[in-house]
Amino acid sequence: MIKLIGAVFIIVATTWIGFEISRRFSERPRQLRALRTALQSLEAEIMYGHTPLHEAARRLAEQLSKPLSTFFESFSKKLTDTETTVKEAWETSLREIWNSTALKQGEFEVMKQFGETLGRHDRISQQKHIMLTLTHLEREEADAIQAQVTYEKMVKSLGFLSGLLLIILLF
Amino acid sequence: MWMTSSKKLNQYFYINRRGGPKIEIIKIVGIALVATFLALIVKEQKPNFAFLLIVFVGCVIFLFLVDKIYEIIHMLEKLAVNAKVNMVYIETILKIIGIAYIAEFATQITKDAGQGALSSKIELAGKIIILAMAIPILTVLIETIIKLIPS
Amino acid sequence: MGLEVDIIFKIAGVGIVVAFLHTVLDQVGKKEYAQWVTLFGFIYILFQVASIVDDLFQKIKSVFLYQ
Repeated sequence: MIKLIGAVFIIVATTWIGFEISRRFSERPRQLRALRTALQSLEAEIMYGHTPLHEAARRLAEQLSKPLSTFFESFSKKLTDTETTVKEAWETSLREIWNSTALKQGEFEVMKQFGETLGRHDRISQQKHIMLTLTHLEREEADAIQAQVTYEKMVKSLGFLSGLLLIILLF
Repeated sequence: MWMTSSKKLNQYFYINRRGGPKIEIIKIVGIALVATFLALIVKEQKPNFAFLLIVFVGCVIFLFLVDKIYEIIHMLEKLAVNAKVNMVYIETILKIIGIAYIAEFATQITKDAGQGALSSKIELAGKIIILAMAIPILTVLIETIIKLIPS
Repeated sequence: MGLEVDIIFKIAGVGIVVAFLHTVLDQVGKKEYAQWVTLFGFIYILFQVASIVDDLFQKIKSVFLYQ
């Protein structure tokens, strides 16, 4: 009896691990798309609304869902509360939330680059930088979708099957 | 005289009754059938595993029978001792039977795995070894015959 | 007797699961991993079978050859 409970436990555990890993693969395109929408709204706010950066970031934080909303929230808070440069505030907030997202190193670099150009140039070049970041993110999103299609199902079945194998071996 | 022998018969059956001989054949047949079905399923995906499974089940069934075989041989041995036959002959015969069984087991396995050449070599090896073991007996036989023929 | 029936089911189970793993890994494209998994499963089962065959031969020796 105890053996049965243990076996069920092992299978559930490995299947759950498989599902978690596959969720990472399916979350990445979704978050990339949300990031792109956020950047587009940021562009609209800066170009046509003439809002200052922290105000725009706060508005974005209200519109988005976690974890991107936390990012913009902490970014705007850093800008209003402390005396750091835009680049540093952007980078620190980025690092803070990065572990809770499903995004990878590539996007991190792209966003870091973008942070370095924030608030320095005039509106036209700012817009151009935003377009550049958007193109990069689009490419990463295509990559992510492809990875998702290949790996998602596989990882789920791998999790379940390895659990099965383990209990058969240990039986 | 047959009263005492039938009493002895009853004694033997009483000692050897462990659930009756019928039930054990069902166990063996059951295991063999289960293994066949499992091998059918596995053979579709990976024929190697099915082969290993069949080998394993063959060994298990034989291991199960070894006890009975031992009893039979024991009885034959006692008969031979009572009949005052030289022990060497009985031992040789039993060894030959053992070699024959092992060789047959191996040839069946290799034939199942598709290695016909290997299986015929194993058969040949079994035959030669049996012949080699039988040589002393044949020698004694020939000497006896030659002694009988006055020359 | 019961212990050996367990091992029979274990072998069949490992065989089927390894076949599935092989197919799944093949489909994703990691053919080498699939081959490794199959090979290791096969070797593991081979060990089981070899140990029982050894058992068998010992018993045959003891029954037929008295050595």
